[in-house]
Amino acid sequence: MDLELNFEISRTAEFILSRNFTRVALQFPDDLLKHSTKVVTCLRNKLGSGNKVGLFVMADTTFGSCCVDEVGASHIGADCVIHYGHTCLSPTSTLPAFCVFGKASINISCCVEKLSSYFRTNGKPIVVLYGLGYAHAISQIKRALEEAMPKTKMELIFSDVMCSIINPLEDHRKSDGLEGCLGTYSSENSLGSGTRYSLGGLTWDLPEGQRMEDYLLLWIGPENSAFSNAVLTFNGCEIVRYDATEDQLVTDVSQQKRILKRRYYLVERAKDANMVGILVGTLGVAGYLHMIHQMKELIMLAGKKAYTLVMGRPNPSKLANFPECDVFIYVSCAQTALLDSKEFLAPVITPFEAMLAFSSGSQWTGTYVLEFRDLISSSQLEVSKRPEEARFSFLKGGYVEDFEPQENGDEDNDSTLALANATEKALQLRDRDPGSLVKGTVKSGAEFFVTRSYHGLETHANSSSPEPYLIGRSGKASGYEDERSEPELGSN
Amino acid sequence: MAAKHQPDLIMCRKQPGIAIGRLCEKCDGKCVICDSLVRPCTLVRIKFTAEELRAIMGRKHNIRNMSVIGHVDHGKSALTDSLVAAAGIIAQEVAGDVRMTDTRADEAERGITIKSTGISLYYEMTDESLKSYKGERQGNEYLINLIDSPGHVDFSSEVTAALRITDGALVVVDCIEGVYMQTETVLRQSLGERIRPVLTVNKMDRCFLELQVDGEEAYRLFQRVIENANVIMATYEDPLLGNVQVYPEKGTVAFSAGLHGWAFTLTNFAKLYASKFGVDEGTMMERLWGENFFDPATKKWTTKNTGSASCKRGFVQFCYEPIKQIINACMNDEKDKLWPILNKLQVTMKSDDKELMGKALMKRVMQTWLPASSALLEMMIFHLPSPSKAQKYRVENLYEGPLDDMYANAIRNCDPEGPLMLYVSKMIPASDKGRFFAFGRVFSGKVSTGLKVRIMGPNYVPGEKKDLYVKSVQRTVIWMGNKQETVEDVPCGNTVAMVGLDQFITKNATLTNEKEVDAHPIRAMKFSVSPVVRVAVQCTVASDLPKLVEGLKRLVKSDPMVSCYIEESGVHIVAGVGELHLEICLKDLQEDFMNGTGIIRSDPVVSYRETVLERSCRTVMSKSPNKHNRLYMEARPLEEGLVEAIDDGRIGPRDDPENRSKILAKEYGWDKDLAKKIWCFGPDTTGPNVVIDMCKGVQYPNEIKDAVVAGFQWASKEGALAEENMRGICFEFCDVVLHADAIHRGGGQIIPTARRVFYAAQLTAKPRLLEPVYLVEIQAPEQALGGIYSVLNKKRGHVFEEMQRPGTPLYNIKAYLPVFESFGFSSTLRAATSGQAFPQCVFDHWDMMPSDPLEFGSLAAAHVADIRCWKGLREEMNPLSVYEDRK
Repeated sequence: MDLELNFEISRTAEFILSRNFTRVALQFPDDLLKHSTKVVTCLRNKLGSGNKVGLFVMADTTFGSCCVDEVGASHIGADCVIHYGHTCLSPTSTLPAFCVFGKASINISCCVEKLSSYFRTNGKPIVVLYGLGYAHAISQIKRALEEAMPKTKMELIFSDVMCSIINPLEDHRKSDGLEGCLGTYSSENSLGSGTRYSLGGLTWDLPEGQRMEDYLLLWIGPENSAFSNAVLTFNGCEIVRYDATEDQLVTDVSQQKRILKRRYYLVERAKDANMVGILVGTLGVAGYLHMIHQMKELIMLAGKKAYTLVMGRPNPSKLANFPECDVFIYVSCAQTALLDSKEFLAPVITPFEAMLAFSSGSQWTGTYVLEFRDLISSSQLEVSKRPEEARFSFLKGGYVEDFEPQENGDEDNDSTLALANATEKALQLRDRDPGSLVKGTVKSGAEFFVTRSYHGLETHANSSSPEPYLIGRSGKASGYEDERSEPELGSN
Repeated sequence: MAAKHQPDLIMCRKQPGIAIGRLCEKCDGKCVICDSLVRPCTLVRIKFTAEELRAIMGRKHNIRNMSVIGHVDHGKSALTDSLVAAAGIIAQEVAGDVRMTDTRADEAERGITIKSTGISLYYEMTDESLKSYKGERQGNEYLINLIDSPGHVDFSSEVTAALRITDGALVVVDCIEGVYMQTETVLRQSLGERIRPVLTVNKMDRCFLELQVDGEEAYRLFQRVIENANVIMATYEDPLLGNVQVYPEKGTVAFSAGLHGWAFTLTNFAKLYASKFGVDEGTMMERLWGENFFDPATKKWTTKNTGSASCKRGFVQFCYEPIKQIINACMNDEKDKLWPILNKLQVTMKSDDKELMGKALMKRVMQTWLPASSALLEMMIFHLPSPSKAQKYRVENLYEGPLDDMYANAIRNCDPEGPLMLYVSKMIPASDKGRFFAFGRVFSGKVSTGLKVRIMGPNYVPGEKKDLYVKSVQRTVIWMGNKQETVEDVPCGNTVAMVGLDQFITKNATLTNEKEVDAHPIRAMKFSVSPVVRVAVQCTVASDLPKLVEGLKRLVKSDPMVSCYIEESGVHIVAGVGELHLEICLKDLQEDFMNGTGIIRSDPVVSYRETVLERSCRTVMSKSPNKHNRLYMEARPLEEGLVEAIDDGRIGPRDDPENRSKILAKEYGWDKDLAKKIWCFGPDTTGPNVVIDMCKGVQYPNEIKDAVVAGFQWASKEGALAEENMRGICFEFCDVVLHADAIHRGGGQIIPTARRVFYAAQLTAKPRLLEPVYLVEIQAPEQALGGIYSVLNKKRGHVFEEMQRPGTPLYNIKAYLPVFESFGFSSTLRAATSGQAFPQCVFDHWDMMPSDPLEFGSLAAAHVADIRCWKGLREEMNPLSVYEDRK
């Protein structure tokens, strides 16, 4: 592999030198980590031995490796991050970042041949999106495609990579300020008529009066989270994917469409939740704090209880430690947001889905938003008036009562009654059958703990005689000492 | 209150369709337009107003709430017509053909009732007819709140809903077809609800016209019908309700021809003959039924047939033969013979009726002589309980709370001044699309327009705020015939429809006054059917989803039994009782509740259950994700009968452990101590699977109990085979090894591990699939039997009973048929028997599929693959190694 070319060593060096960075963090995803030492050597050579730029390799990113790990970088006091590999190009909040997408190999002539033959049969205008790894070849593909189909008056829109440099946002609280994070390209927003779309670091313009549904979406690249992101966001479009490694067109995206239905189910399920865990899944994506606050507010307004949990990448056993939560909201960058495994005890949903689920009156219309900035700008929280109708739960197949949102405030306003209320609640809880662990009846973590059947060590009331002294097993549960020999016995 | 002299409108016979005549006892009995004589009636019919109706509503002794129940096509709706006609809502002439209570277009089209329809009727009885009534009454006016119910099994939930709010039932049985499966089902249900039945042997006309059986044969036919019904009633007898069996000689059995609008009880004839024989009516009635014979030659009554040619059974001699004579005279147009007989019977025909010929004449004559309404009304008023009488014994069935609190007392006494207790049993679509009337019965107190009520839903638990709303009733409405009348208030003992509560009630609820916070709800209805057939629905255009969601919401309300929910894969499911039920539901959904928006439906699918055949072949072990904890488990099938006991709630999580262990030890041979160690039931904490703690010497297994229980609820809901519910599996928790440090044995470690070990135990215990099985009853003539057998064979069905109906050429076949094979069964059967066989399918039990779902290529494996495909799961199920850890 040509290191220099693939890792864009000279561009990187230029970037570092031009902005006079002195401490630079190099963030590698797991699959590229093996090249890190060589990259560092090359880069150091390029920067010149006299230069005192500190280069640090960062690996094992806390959250998704597609996001810039600002917290990791700030540990070493870095003033910029060079991000390698697949990225979601989510805006950062404090540090500037330079993204090296890498160059995935693609056979341009094969690709163009496949595409043009497909396009001839399909009359729709086309929008071309691609995995960032193929960004390097796009201009060639574009030229070749235009040559291959000179006569057809096909409308062909190629998306552009926004920028490989991410500049931090000064005030990410302002939702309109978020556009600044689009970097150098943002200034061009006003140019040209029509609608500007952006997704996962790609931007493109549609002529005025056209909707995405009128276009055929072509995706060049492997089937990864970026692709699912595109499929979900533009679920109304016809989508084909060109797989460069297999050299074939994949027109069947039913698997992805199925994901959408599954998400719909999760939203319905979230509506029935009483307690919600907010999982912090990023510390880098601009606006994440804002989003967490927004979520908390939303949940409170819906009369539910929110707990904020910070953990690394969530997995079933981590989340099962919080069985009191009926649903988790995963606040993270767009491309890691979709966590769906049947192994999770409670569903994990995205902030957008949470908004659908918890704001009364909102409906699942098919539009799907994954990125924060679209979310924050799209739906400002409005204090909804009390709904006319009780909420209908499709999981229970009937009306369910939602806890009155005012209830939380009640006790503060009515301090004289607070004690009485609290006692009343406690008495009700005692009344409940301790053996039954029906989830969804409790409203807060504390109440949940009360309903647990085990409250700590208990003394055996009926056996007063002392227990005999026994020698237990020693070692670890993953393999006790008396078990060590067993496999050997087996081999004999 | 004396009845107002307010003449009733009646249809002119010469200008059909126009109501122009007026008739009542005090009028001259002539139509004002055509001047023809309208028959004088025994009932003083008064076109009633809402005010009159409201006044009578307060007199709880003069109210009868009754449902008309019976097997499909035995003539319930036609018979109801006669009653409606007698109340002056439709013309007598058309009664039987209109089927007034079949209000939906598809009901008329298919000729079957789909939804139960309530109707309030007001009658004024003559003093003469009431003179032998011994019970309490307040005046001669009676209010009958009548509900006509569907007879098809697929809609028996409608019957359940109707029975809950009535106190009596008119059981309609075809005199030739006799007591069928559905007759039995509805009888069982009504007795379970403590509803007193009276019987009518319907379609008498078939005896005279179709079969032309002689008197003795007909008597046996009727007697058999009555006996069969009595056998069922005796089976479900209830000491509080007393003897519910029906006897013609006591007037609790009527003989009717709904289509022709005539009916009689033995009372009619007893009145006629009593004076002639110089005995009282009661004695005469007894002579008219059973082993009583009369010989006109000797003029003697005997209890045995003397053998003389003129000696005939009383019933035959005095009831059957005269009717036969008249019918024959009419049909053969022997008018010279007819008029003298009618004169003797004091039946006066109007002049233009005399012009009629054949069947029309017969219908008119019979209606005039033996009007169905008066016979049936008399039977209902005399033998069905008033609300105040019925609620005394029904309160135990109805009220969930303590039977000595004020609410129970108010219900028991049917106290209009007591607290409001109202049960909403059904939601009825209103004329403005998307809204519903909440239809129910006031058991105590009064419900009035504007009243603020507490709505206690089915999940309400006293003292909590779950499933509870306080809303006000916008309007209270009563059904007067086919139109709704708003009334100020409705007192206890009546049925009522309310506007403005539909957005808080899914299917049913208990309503009480706003302040009555201590009231317990009225017990939820128990249905005899369950939704086992389901289809996935989606919109043709994806963006119509909100319409679909709204439509499904309305569909759920409109039918007591349909259920709508979302599968894990995100598809909307509509589940119903059978194919017909689903078809009607989907039609309603699309046409009424979605305004014709296109929907796509999948083929019907069946829900399955997962179970095990044997004890696990070994104790399986799973390690927690951190490898520091181990759970050991075995699975075995639950004892036969125990599963059903859990289903019925005889054994459940809320039992007293002492009590439970007693039952388990006695009936199912469990070890007494073991029975106390049941950790939980599942799925949903009440399902028919259990976890038992069998650990010995483990210090604190309770510490992880909550986590294991959580894992069990999850696993039992989605079994290892096809993520269907588990059923009848007992998991024995054998041993556990926990990490010494609490942080390493938290729920996060245990819950997923417990789930895995449950699956592993299931897979090692010969897992099997259970499929739902219908009990099919088919009636067909002999020549159709071959076709029936061959269709059943092809569909994996098996016949377990074949019986000829005595006295008829019909055969009655009972068979078991997997629900999976039942789709299209009716039409295949009809095709194979040239339309002579009609099946009635009702869910009966879960049956184990004999083949091994783990064995590639078996039928069960194919089913598993189908379910997984439909659910969008990976086609292959996870192998055991995913769940089990070996050292």
